[in-house]
Amino acid sequence: MTMTEPSASRLEVSGKPPFYRDVTVVKWLVQLATLFTLIFITWFLAREAGDNLRAKGLTSGFEFLGQPAGFNVSEGIDTEPATGGRALWVGMVTTFRLAISGILAATILGILVGLARLSNNWIVNRVGSVFVETIRNIPLIVQIVLLFAVFGSLSRVELDSGPINGWLHVTNKGVSMPRVFIADGFYQWLVFMLIGLVVARFVRKNRIAAQEATGEPSYSGLATLGVLLLFAIVGWFIHPVFGFIGGPLQAISDGIANIPQVAVQVALTALAFFAAALWVKRFRDSRRTPAGMAALTDDDWFRQIFAFVGAAAAAAFLWLVWPGFSDWIVNSSSDLFRVLADKFGDNPEFLDADGVARDRDGAPFGWARPDIVQPGNFANYGDQGLTMSQGFAAVFFGIVFYTAAFIAEIVRGGILAVAKGQSEAAAALGLSRAQALRKVILPQAFRVALPPLGNQYLNLTKNTSLAVAVGLSEVVQIGQTVISQSGKSLSVFVIWMSFYLCCSLTISVIVNFFNVRMKIVER
Amino acid sequence: MTANMSASGMELGRADMIVSDGVDKWYGDFQALKGVTAQVAEREVVVVLGPSGSGKSTWIRCINRLEVHQGGTIAVDGVELTNDTRNIDKIRSDVGMVFQQFNLFPHLTVMDNITLAPRWVRKQPKAEAETKAMELLERVGIPEQAAKFPGQLSGGQQQRVAIARSLAMEPRIMLFDEPTSALDPEMISEVLEVMKDLARGGMTMMVVTHEMGFAREVADRIIFMESGEIVEVGTPEHFFTNPTEDRTKLFLSQIL
Repeated sequence: MTMTEPSASRLEVSGKPPFYRDVTVVKWLVQLATLFTLIFITWFLAREAGDNLRAKGLTSGFEFLGQPAGFNVSEGIDTEPATGGRALWVGMVTTFRLAISGILAATILGILVGLARLSNNWIVNRVGSVFVETIRNIPLIVQIVLLFAVFGSLSRVELDSGPINGWLHVTNKGVSMPRVFIADGFYQWLVFMLIGLVVARFVRKNRIAAQEATGEPSYSGLATLGVLLLFAIVGWFIHPVFGFIGGPLQAISDGIANIPQVAVQVALTALAFFAAALWVKRFRDSRRTPAGMAALTDDDWFRQIFAFVGAAAAAAFLWLVWPGFSDWIVNSSSDLFRVLADKFGDNPEFLDADGVARDRDGAPFGWARPDIVQPGNFANYGDQGLTMSQGFAAVFFGIVFYTAAFIAEIVRGGILAVAKGQSEAAAALGLSRAQALRKVILPQAFRVALPPLGNQYLNLTKNTSLAVAVGLSEVVQIGQTVISQSGKSLSVFVIWMSFYLCCSLTISVIVNFFNVRMKIVER
Repeated sequence: MTANMSASGMELGRADMIVSDGVDKWYGDFQALKGVTAQVAEREVVVVLGPSGSGKSTWIRCINRLEVHQGGTIAVDGVELTNDTRNIDKIRSDVGMVFQQFNLFPHLTVMDNITLAPRWVRKQPKAEAETKAMELLERVGIPEQAAKFPGQLSGGQQQRVAIARSLAMEPRIMLFDEPTSALDPEMISEVLEVMKDLARGGMTMMVVTHEMGFAREVADRIIFMESGEIVEVGTPEHFFTNPTEDRTKLFLSQIL
């Protein structure tokens, strides 16, 4: 320090303040008090809930997941689930189907309606506006129930019913159409396609470089698609050569099975502490300025300590709370590789449901047309046509229309948010309308629209639970049946909550990934 | 109408690059341009002055079809502006434009801003377009900013990038729509310097501005507009020292 000490006369308070006036101490006390209050309230509520549930004869526990389900499911990947866990999984898959197909369809419809509302064509513009204003002002559950009634009023399934008999049936039992499914040769073919993907990527880079070098369009997208198509066709015929991959995968599976539990525990603990240390190092680097280390605030210290507390908690979980977790990881990884190995070879130990070993020379895909087993009924999934039941169709169209109305407004807002000067500048430079849209307007509109779009995807996924209103067996409906069978309401609630949390977090992570990539650099 | 209103390229012995003949423009029932007739010769620098709302921006925006005129004719380098998209494309490729609000593309780097149109409209190889872009950035004095985004630059730097972006299409005519009006005072001169340099290089320019110093120093002719009409045309010397019209005198007394 080169500065001289300030003169004593100007310094009123020189000593340490009492602790209740010390900002640092007060701040830490408040933090700790909040933390302990939170822990106490949680503990108190959990204890009360536990006591009350025990008094009513309700207990928690997850044994029902492995016990016989005791009921059939009306639709899904497995209509006669063996265990409670399997039943819930059937419901989860139905929810996935609704959410994923719903997100795709709602995005496409929403973009079209949004563009329609921006159209100069009066009729198109009006149709878009009426769609948006009608749909978004009616509660979703009313729309779903209404659609269910509409589908229910359609004609009965007969052997010669449907708009295109044998191909497309729209009836009171839902909609059935042809479908393509994965067959025995698929995994070998997939390996060949992975090689194709690498080649296609190489070709695409090459084409783009050619475009940059000459300035002439080189149709990189078409060339890439052509390569993939070529590999898909060639792979259809030569894929059995990849059957040998089953051997190495089986070896990996055996290798993993031999890893002792302690080794996994040690490795995961080390990983936890390594991650904490890495985080702290990055954090300290981010606080480093050219002039040296910036002074760390109390919050900064708290975060660093918390990183190691988190790692310690993970270690405690691994060694004390649930030592079996490491074993579970070993077993499931080993199982995963064994299942993969079975997909490749005709392993005599792994037979299909009908007792036949997998035929690795078979075609990668198969297809099937709608099949009416008897008048009034479709075959339920299996190798038959793709059947959307009455309930599924009602929920699907309900959430798609509803979300599309909101996405349309987001798309419209995004495009309108791009300043008029941007398209004027593009036009003045001689860019065509299409080039201006692709290179200037849409990249900026997408950046504005992406965060609210992610919100709509979250809403859509959560709204699939309204399927309970029309009795579609998705995760909530099946969960209710499981509760009535086993009485473990608390456990099912936990499963529901963690399921939707995982779905939402996955969507958030994906949307955020694109969001960060689209970010515009400001000073 | 005074005698020097008819001053055109023919008298200077050069061809007319821009011919505006009786151009009318309405916004609803408000007439923004009332029979605007003037010519700009090759390598001539014309400054358009006038109070705000006099129609000067509307006029130069009509010249590359950012606004559609409803009466009269506009011809640029012998091509008449009609609804024919081929004519519009031809004229836009000959005419560069610099805006008051810069209108740089915020999602692209300075380099990509400049090379976008040459690469996708002119189909230039990337390397060639980038070499040209670096030359232009050096000409406007900011080669070191090539990799930055517009949001990281000062207003004056952004406007210089906008000028370089227009020049990359090798236009024969440059239109400037109040290029310094959105800038902080200390950044105006750096943009004006670039424009003076362009004028010295023989570029045909039409400049709407409030910079009287620039008009006096660089302009070959000054066109004074008010209420959508051309009031007076003349050399800077005539305009600033001996204006004939009362409205011009009133305008000059208010700003000088």
